[in-house]
Order: sequence, then structure tokens, then C-alpha cells
Amino acid sequence: MGKIIVVTSGKGGVGKTTSTANLGTALALLGKTVVVVDADVGLRNLDIVMGLESRIVYTSMDVIEKQCELSKALVKDRRVDGLTLLAASQKNNKDDMQPEEMKAICEKLGETHDYVLVDSPAGIERGFSNASAGADEAIVVTTPDVSAIRDADRIIGLLQHAGIEPINLILNRFSPQLVGSGSMMDQDDVLDILNIDLLGIVPEDPGVITSTNRGIPLVYEDASPGSQAYMRIARRVTGQRIPIPELEQRGFLSNIVNWFTRNR
Amino acid sequence: MNISIKRLFGRKPKSSNIAKQRLKLVITQDRLDVDDRFMTRLHHELAEVLAKYFEFSVNSVQMSLKQEGNSYVLVADIPYKKFHDTNPRR
Repeated sequence: MGKIIVVTSGKGGVGKTTSTANLGTALALLGKTVVVVDADVGLRNLDIVMGLESRIVYTSMDVIEKQCELSKALVKDRRVDGLTLLAASQKNNKDDMQPEEMKAICEKLGETHDYVLVDSPAGIERGFSNASAGADEAIVVTTPDVSAIRDADRIIGLLQHAGIEPINLILNRFSPQLVGSGSMMDQDDVLDILNIDLLGIVPEDPGVITSTNRGIPLVYEDASPGSQAYMRIARRVTGQRIPIPELEQRGFLSNIVNWFTRNR
Repeated sequence: MNISIKRLFGRKPKSSNIAKQRLKLVITQDRLDVDDRFMTRLHHELAEVLAKYFEFSVNSVQMSLKQEGNSYVLVADIPYKKFHDTNPRR
């Protein structure tokens, strides 16, 4: 029986979908069988972030409406073994799905995969209840700013109330430079407020934008700091003990070097 | 460098610290499910009672909920000018 993990945040735009795509791909690169599930009915995006948007035939709604078998609705990612996507319907809305229906789908997927990663929509309404209905565990994604952290705290409360445990944190878009100058809260500040375990820190990385533009998850690029962060997170998800490295506050010179060498 | 010199002379607190303090306050209220009007009402009623004993400016009263470990603490900061004479026999 595989693990069903909901990736959620409360606030939109903090990197849930990017994190789901990269973590799912990273787990597959580590040899695990993974299905990433888009639970954002009506506003699906996991397909385009992963570069699979042109290959979707069936969605979870078709499975619920018994238009097709669950296995047939899974889109295989041809770049890595063991990775598939279950897309959300774009023409329905979140109320067209019941939490129990999503739960049944996740549990069935869990029988045949090591990991079921559910990409939750923003908000605390039906979309969130659908996404978290079948979850054993949760990953909360936040950025180090006040609105994202406040919403993350709200979501953590709801997840705890639903008995989902453990709940781990990904701190996304972290800038060591801004932390160094006192303009951004550091991980200790965020953890002190949210009081959950840290799964990993993803540094602010322009590579995220270019990889999303191309539809190729960042983890395929070994050298980028974001990619390395997601690979470490994936290893931690599999139970490996990987220490969280101190992100160095890079100086002016290395910033210039980085600017020239970066794959833009 | 400019920023750190300013900080050295205590001119501007780090905005990250301000963010943390503000968040702690608002999240404590979120967690306790405190009604938005609750704090204002408490503030007014408390000020009414306190006005019988102290001379102070209502606007200078700062009230906040804080989490300390597993318990919550209501902290009220009331800068008063002087005590009223509450002993009628004097």
C-alpha cells in the first residue's frame, strides 16, 4: 500500500503545483512508482507544469462518471519510468466531485503505486476537502511572507482536525540574501510560528520559471539549486536522513558568476 | 552596509522581526477563533473598568494574545498617569 500525500498551502501562488511536479518527478527518478493527481477541478495546471498538457484524454471526473477505467485515465510520463498523471477536469467545478469519490480514487491508486501525490487547489473550501479526503500525510508549502504563513497555519489546523499526520513543511522561494539583510524571515522564525517539521527549503531559483516555460520539471537539471533542493526533499520523503543544508548568503561576485552560468 | 549601520544605531528594526511579531499575534487570534469584535469589545470594557482606578489614555492601551508553549496569555500594556484616589474615607 503506497502513501497518499496531499500537497497544499491555503494561499495560491506559493508553489504547490511546482512542488508536486518536482517532488513527483524526483521520486520517480529515485526509482519509485508515482502518480501525481491534480485535484484542482476547473483550474487544472499540473498537466502544463509537467509538460503533459497535450496528452490528456481522460480526467478523474471521467473515472467518477464511469466513462473510463482509472488505469486508462493515467497519462504516462515518457521521460522517466514509473511516473503518471491523473488530470483534473477543466470543464467541471469543484462541487461536481465528492470527497469520498476522490478518496476512493486515491486509495485505489495507492494499491498500485509507492506514492500518490495530490496537488490541492488554493483555499479551504471543497477543493481542499476533496484533495485531502484520501490523504495519509500532508506537505504544506509556504513562502516566507506573512500572508502565505498565516494561510498555512489555517490549513495546518484543518489538516490536524482531519487527523492527517504527519504534516511537513516545504519552505519555498527562500532567499538567503534577503534573510541576511533582515528583510525575510528565516526558517527558524517560520517553524517557530507554524510548529511543524521542516521537510526542506527551496531557494528562490529563476530556473523554476524557465523549467515551467518549457514544461520540463526542474529536477531534470542537476545543477540548479532548486533541483537539488527537490531531490533532497524526495529522499527525505522516502525516509532517508538528509540534513537540511545551511543556504549560504552568496556574495556579489558569485552572484555575477551565477548570472553568467545560469541556463536562462 | 548602509542598512547595518542604521540598524547599529537602532534606527530601523528589521522588517523580518516585525513580520514575525505581527504574524504571531494574528495567528494566535486565528487559532483561538477570536471574533474580530471580541478584542475591541474587551478593550473598551476593560478600559471602562480601569478608568475607575487609573488615569490613562484609552488610545495608549495595547492588548494582545500571545502563545506561550501550550497556553495562551492575554497581555495588556496600560501606561497610566496616576492612580485615582479610591479610598472614600481619606
